[in-house]
Amino acid sequence: MSDPASLSLAAAAQALRERRISSRELADACLARIARWQPRINAFISVEQDAANEGVPLAHKDMFYRKGRVSNCGSRIRRGWVARETSTALLRLDAAGMLQIGTLNMAEFAYGPTGHNDHWGDCRNPWNPEYIPGGSSSGSGAAVAARLVFGALGSDTGGSVRIPAAACGVSGLKTTWGRVSRHGAMPLSHSLDTIGPLARSAEDCALLLAAIAGHDPLDPVSSREPYVGKISNSGFRIAISTAWIERNVEPEVAAAVLAAAGALRSGGAQLLEAAPPDFATLSAHCITVMQAEASAQHARWMRERPGDYSSAVRARLESGFAVPAAAYLEALRLRGTWLERFCATTLSAADFYLLPAMKIRVPTLEQTGARGGADMPALLGEVTRLTRWVNYLGVPALVIPCGFDSRGLPIGLQLVGRPFAEAILLAAGHAFQRETDWHQRVPVS
Amino acid sequence: MTKQWNSETIEILLAAQGIRLAPGRAEKIANALNAATVSGSLPLEFESDPTSYVLALERCKAK
Repeated sequence: MSDPASLSLAAAAQALRERRISSRELADACLARIARWQPRINAFISVEQDAANEGVPLAHKDMFYRKGRVSNCGSRIRRGWVARETSTALLRLDAAGMLQIGTLNMAEFAYGPTGHNDHWGDCRNPWNPEYIPGGSSSGSGAAVAARLVFGALGSDTGGSVRIPAAACGVSGLKTTWGRVSRHGAMPLSHSLDTIGPLARSAEDCALLLAAIAGHDPLDPVSSREPYVGKISNSGFRIAISTAWIERNVEPEVAAAVLAAAGALRSGGAQLLEAAPPDFATLSAHCITVMQAEASAQHARWMRERPGDYSSAVRARLESGFAVPAAAYLEALRLRGTWLERFCATTLSAADFYLLPAMKIRVPTLEQTGARGGADMPALLGEVTRLTRWVNYLGVPALVIPCGFDSRGLPIGLQLVGRPFAEAILLAAGHAFQRETDWHQRVPVS
Repeated sequence: MTKQWNSETIEILLAAQGIRLAPGRAEKIANALNAATVSGSLPLEFESDPTSYVLALERCKAK
């Protein structure tokens, strides 16, 4: 067998079941790649060299608690903090035959979209380390893209699974709010937080989702909606705003996304032109909710040790203390109405809405960091412009690679569905990936 | 009505919550609040509350 680390998660799991490969061989293949890539991309926070259990090697954002183990949450404040219980998502992956071989870099407290981290070092994009890997699940995107693990968990509150998936050229699923238990995962904004997989393909994401989805009495908002993983994968009805994409999205990104839509149509899908959602208003509501809830979550530490936050995260948290309570509650009261409007108008008769994951090409770490200059805040806004609105509505969204720009950085396609329609998105992603090879391209170290 | 946030009101507001602002932050927050607009608001039913969202999730799921 060639490098076992090059297998898909599905193929690795099957080879393991059929005893054509051992768990040790899979782990060793991953560990060898980690040793080669880590100095270049800083994706890992901890690596377990001698994992005792058997399974397909995964690693997860350093915010999923495992009893007796450290979860630093990308921060100085929680550096060395030892969890007292194991998250439901990790327990379910353990039961499904997955093996955790490490913890992954992330934005401080999952509150940043780029991959910068003042405390643990910036995570870098494996396609070019000068560019952002996306955040906040930065290590998850980078590690999966470089084939250091077969899959990873991330969290998505404003785009934190999808932006790394897009920037690193992997598949990432933002789940419906309530689809996956958040028990034992670090909170940021309880009305928006979701947990989802990043993997090498939509098929691999589907395997991970099947393992972690489902009601959990320890997370009172987790849904009892059953997850049915098999959907016929042709004849999709796809809503798209072609003219909006042509006018508002950077040309290389627009061309790749529209070409992907064309490929889906060639595969039997029907494209339905639709008016775009009100991205600006929905994003503004998302920011209101996120800022208010995140600041409330961090209130004690912001009072007692504000100097232990990075300046960027401290500034975001300070803003949340100025959100009027009435504005926060009004945004939440409007949420259901906006969701129904999206489903009735933009989606209408369609199965899902297709758009870019980011309206711009992947920016550099320097452009989006402290030295980014006067344009930096606006650039950060562009990074999250097409993801935050989805969290406000609480619906699922899949990001898959659909091309590369002229600098060799990936371009992400985003499919946004109705509540609990993850299976439709994954089936469409799988259909696309059977006809294309963007997801099989691997960065060279 | 034009919003009237300024650095002093922000400092008072956050100090009342026990939050010490980093230097220069009050003015930035005030400017951001004054610039923030929500252009496309929907009519909000008097009876709606945040929990109505859970019912909307149920109504909107794929059949």
